[in-house]
Amino acid sequence: MTNAIETWDLRYRAGKSFELRDVALKVREGSIYGFLGPNGAGKTTTIKLLMGMLRADGGQIAVLGRKVPSDMPRVLAQVGYVPERPHLYPFLTVEQAINFHAAFFAGFDRPYADELLGGFNLPGEHRLSALSKGEMGKLHMLLVLAQRPRLLILDEPTDGLDPVVRRDVLSALLDFCSQGSTTVFISSHLVHELERICDWVGVLDRGRLLAELPMHAFKSGIKRIRVENPPSLIGDTPFVLVARETTTMDEIWVVRGWQAPMVQWFEGTGARVKEIVDLDLEEGFVELLRAARVPAA
Amino acid sequence: MFRQLDARSPIPLYVQIADRLRIAVATGELRPSLPLPSVRQLAAQLRVNPATVVQAYRELEQAGVVESKQGAGTYVREVGEGNRGAERHREARRLVRRLLQEGAALGVSPEELDQAWRGELKGRLA
Repeated sequence: MTNAIETWDLRYRAGKSFELRDVALKVREGSIYGFLGPNGAGKTTTIKLLMGMLRADGGQIAVLGRKVPSDMPRVLAQVGYVPERPHLYPFLTVEQAINFHAAFFAGFDRPYADELLGGFNLPGEHRLSALSKGEMGKLHMLLVLAQRPRLLILDEPTDGLDPVVRRDVLSALLDFCSQGSTTVFISSHLVHELERICDWVGVLDRGRLLAELPMHAFKSGIKRIRVENPPSLIGDTPFVLVARETTTMDEIWVVRGWQAPMVQWFEGTGARVKEIVDLDLEEGFVELLRAARVPAA
Repeated sequence: MFRQLDARSPIPLYVQIADRLRIAVATGELRPSLPLPSVRQLAAQLRVNPATVVQAYRELEQAGVVESKQGAGTYVREVGEGNRGAERHREARRLVRRLLQEGAALGVSPEELDQAWRGELKGRLA
């Protein structure tokens, strides 16, 4: 299977305080990829690099099999991009804004745009300056979906929208995805939203990609384990130990890459596993960041 | 039908969807002559990845609960009244097993669950 987005050793430096380092993304074609990270992790910077809006200091980028930024025009023709702060001329009406956007894309599907316009209940004759934030959010999604792009790159597309609008926008996105094999690369800090729709996750923190794996592997492989009588020194473990904490009674271990038979490893050390708790995406995400920020013991 | 869908649960979403549909078939809520919603409809309605719905339907097809007719969608398979009873029985056991599992995860013993269960029933029947 080919990758809709791939980067190799991507590096970018902005001033002294921030650096994107060794970012190797692989976004499978047809997947809905959730790009997670706290504020300031470098998500938007990464997206701007993918879109050719910033020039990398090192590494390579391929989007839809073409080199970025040298082959950018052909990439842009097939990508629907909603930036963090989209710009549309406020003096245009909704209809005019659709026509304006359509002029840039040969394959723009006008009937589909009209269908979405009705579905979103957007007032075609109103000026954009008169639209609510929610209506603007819907309009941005409408414009990129009607491009019928092979790849959608969405930078916090539902940020600041109310739950009803979020639901409408996501339903439209998923409806579009069911019609063909589009790839969606979506950055968000609304973890629960991504948990429902994504089949891949990448976690970025402070300019580094901490993890990239299928959603089910992320969710099923990360556990919080209550251990009685744990070994104090540990050598090789069949799982990745993310964190351990002592409570009054037992120790709590957070592990990645967990599989049920690994209980035997604990028994082999004379410890006893008292409880194994599944983590949801948000808890797993928080644990992963926490562990990444603790200096290695 | 899908009110209890919970993305945060460790039970994969496709399993949750398949389970809900199984129950709907067992209770007769979904009838053999009716098509299931299309993947497109259901994905947009539940706001889940279309691939998740496809996976749920595939699982139900393998289990013989539904069949897909070329180009005409997915249909609930014709089953006899006796089979439906058997499926309901299996479903009931599945629900109880899950309750026991969740209880165990929370440290609630089967005895406590049994007691709570009886109390709950008494309240309903009164």
